[in-house]
Amino acid sequence: MLELRNVQKRFGGVTALRDGNLSVSAGEVHLLLGENGAGKSTLMKIVAGIVSRDSGSMLWNGAEVFLNSPSEAAAIGIAMVNQESLLAPHLTVAENIFLGREKKRPLGWVNRREVIEEARAIIKQYGFPLAPEALVGHLSPAGRQLVEICRAIRHGSSLLIFDEPTSSLSDTETQQVFRIVRDLKSRGMAIIYITHRMDELRQIGDRFTILRDGAMVHTGVLADIPTDQLIRHMVGREVDHIYEREHLTPGETVLEVRDLSTAETQLRNISLKLRKGEITGMAGLIGAGRTELCRAIFGVDAITTGEVLLGGKPAHIRSPRDAVRAGIALVTEDRQVSGLALGLPIAANMTLANVERISRFGFLDLVSQNKLCTDLGKTMSLKAASVAQGAGTLSGGNQQKVVIAKWLFRQAQVFLFDEPTRGIDIGAKTEVFELMSELARQGAAILMVSSELTELQHVADRILVMRQGRISGELPRINGASPSQEQIMKLAVPESTAGNKAA
Amino acid sequence: MKIDSRLLQKLLPFLSLIALFIGLSIASPYFLTANNLASVAQQTAVFNTMALGMTIVIITGGIDLSVGSILGLAGLIGAMALEAGYPVAVGVLVGIIVGTGCGFLNGLLITRLRIPPFVVTLGALGIYRGAALILSNGLPVHRIPPAFAFVGEGSLLGIPFVLWLLVICAVIVHLVLEHTRLGRYAFAIGSNKIASVYAGIPVDFHTTAVYAIGGALTGLAGMIEASRLMTGQPTAGQGYELQAIAAVVIGGGSLNGGEGSVVGTLIGAFIMGLLSNGADLLNISNYWQQVIIGSVIILAVTLDEVRKRRAR
Repeated sequence: MLELRNVQKRFGGVTALRDGNLSVSAGEVHLLLGENGAGKSTLMKIVAGIVSRDSGSMLWNGAEVFLNSPSEAAAIGIAMVNQESLLAPHLTVAENIFLGREKKRPLGWVNRREVIEEARAIIKQYGFPLAPEALVGHLSPAGRQLVEICRAIRHGSSLLIFDEPTSSLSDTETQQVFRIVRDLKSRGMAIIYITHRMDELRQIGDRFTILRDGAMVHTGVLADIPTDQLIRHMVGREVDHIYEREHLTPGETVLEVRDLSTAETQLRNISLKLRKGEITGMAGLIGAGRTELCRAIFGVDAITTGEVLLGGKPAHIRSPRDAVRAGIALVTEDRQVSGLALGLPIAANMTLANVERISRFGFLDLVSQNKLCTDLGKTMSLKAASVAQGAGTLSGGNQQKVVIAKWLFRQAQVFLFDEPTRGIDIGAKTEVFELMSELARQGAAILMVSSELTELQHVADRILVMRQGRISGELPRINGASPSQEQIMKLAVPESTAGNKAA
Repeated sequence: MKIDSRLLQKLLPFLSLIALFIGLSIASPYFLTANNLASVAQQTAVFNTMALGMTIVIITGGIDLSVGSILGLAGLIGAMALEAGYPVAVGVLVGIIVGTGCGFLNGLLITRLRIPPFVVTLGALGIYRGAALILSNGLPVHRIPPAFAFVGEGSLLGIPFVLWLLVICAVIVHLVLEHTRLGRYAFAIGSNKIASVYAGIPVDFHTTAVYAIGGALTGLAGMIEASRLMTGQPTAGQGYELQAIAAVVIGGGSLNGGEGSVVGTLIGAFIMGLLSNGADLLNISNYWQQVIIGSVIILAVTLDEVRKRRAR
């Protein structure tokens, strides 16, 4: 039905896809597997007409096609259910299903009753628990996924792409999505399914294709291959190339979290210690509460019970300002949203958390600012014309360096890194790890949240695992060897799903 | 070549100002006279002073729609102080303090209630204007000492006094924006508020401070206006907020925050001042003036957007 051969795509200087191959037939669930940055999303965006390919071919029912927009893809029967839903929260379920595809009538008149009835028919056909009149903004993440699915079905798709549909769903909701996927499959639809959750592969998939570093490395029938072999293909043999650092004996405890719970973000009884010179890894699935823990320590979200101690004394952190003053740094997972002032120069960003250091009585010393920032940029091998260059013009890796530089300039002692390598290329990743190691060597206490297990295995001195708002376990290095991915995943996967292998 | 055209585009507002100046000198024999230029300076001084304050507010990503009303209230209370027999300097100071208080209140409401500046200052626009009308019973304050006229109409060393005031204010605001912590924080808050909070910047404090500074400059503008009219008018300054915003925007300020400069704003205010003066001299009707100025605002912002998009 769908056949991709030697598809290539570059974004600026970065090759996202070198050799994308994929073959999908009607009536199957085809898993697309690979690590973050392997090119899965790019390949799917090409199939869905969101980005165009540079070279290679795409055959649809045997004929070469070139899609320039999602609506062209929709016209031939390809639709994508997005990971982060692209719906209008203030409109109803029915209105969202038909958004942009309303029946053409004189004066653009919309017959509300008719729209609702048509939506109700689709919902009923698949037995979804949705009310067509409900506002999308009031739905759960799972409900929104269902609306996306309805949208896709509504224009008669024969190929549906699911991009990590269960990453933000609960167990029961996940099972619901699986039921729907199986139902769609039994109706002869082809389904491409992207997932990172090893525990759900076999519940849903028929065949699989693995991408690594922008190229297809393996494809076949899922039943024929054991899971460890799948993982080996995904990670690749060059595991040892990623990064090796010397693991030092940690010093005294700098920051301690005691029995911390939050109301809104549902963290439960978290206790942990961050020690001088140590990189503590933090693993867990998306939604396990890792980012929320960083936010709670940093004073963004209120702590309901428990406390944070710095150097053995209660820290009383009620705002990010308190945290920064106490010497804590947070490198957020989304640097464009909460890390950088993109419109301002590099120097302004580097000094943002410590303008006091370059000012006297409120007046800035721009000469020393530029000198300090230029030096800092040099030690970090920042690639920029000058520190006056806008931060928004830098590559992802260099932007991340500026964010880290901001906290170096603040001379922070505790660093919370939330997904520090997200969206940056492999070379820059190594440089970020080197910076983190150097910080540890100089005596900083570091918490490193990452969804990439190989990174944690290589960089972290020990790994904490979170599951559903709690710390589910701690895995130390034993004789220098890091814990295995299986050990980590076992602690990360929700217990109910891990035990539930019924198809 | 590439760099040249970029520089040219960046200088466009300034070049347009010069072109306008030269054009008007040729078109009208009355334009390039000391009298006329002094009157342009006096006319634009009020908007200019307000616009300087608006520049900082807009850089933080905010807006103050109530400045017209603040101008009226500050001018009125300042004039009342003069009527009560206080010296000119004290009267002016009273006006500035009233303006500062109004701006401070705006800032406080915005940061405490967490309501968008647009809404808070839209409400404040009505409140301050109403307060001025209640306080004065709707009647202007007339009995002002003649010495007060010096503020708006007098001259020092052959240069209108308002121009001195404007230059001093402009230099101060420029220094604040480019060379102080407050200015740096204003840009940071406007460019990325979340990142600013996460960097430990006291965002609420500086946001409030910025509105208070905007109010102070508006209070001063109110006293200039009162001096030029030699009355404290409770209705003074109606619609001025749009002029001030327009000057900032023509000068390259972005309503999304993080961008703007004193020089840009001054150029923007002078372009508008020259357009209206030129239209008067060339006998273009007041009705058409509004159309022309409105078009210039849209044109200027369009050109600026094109420049920024290319720079990306």
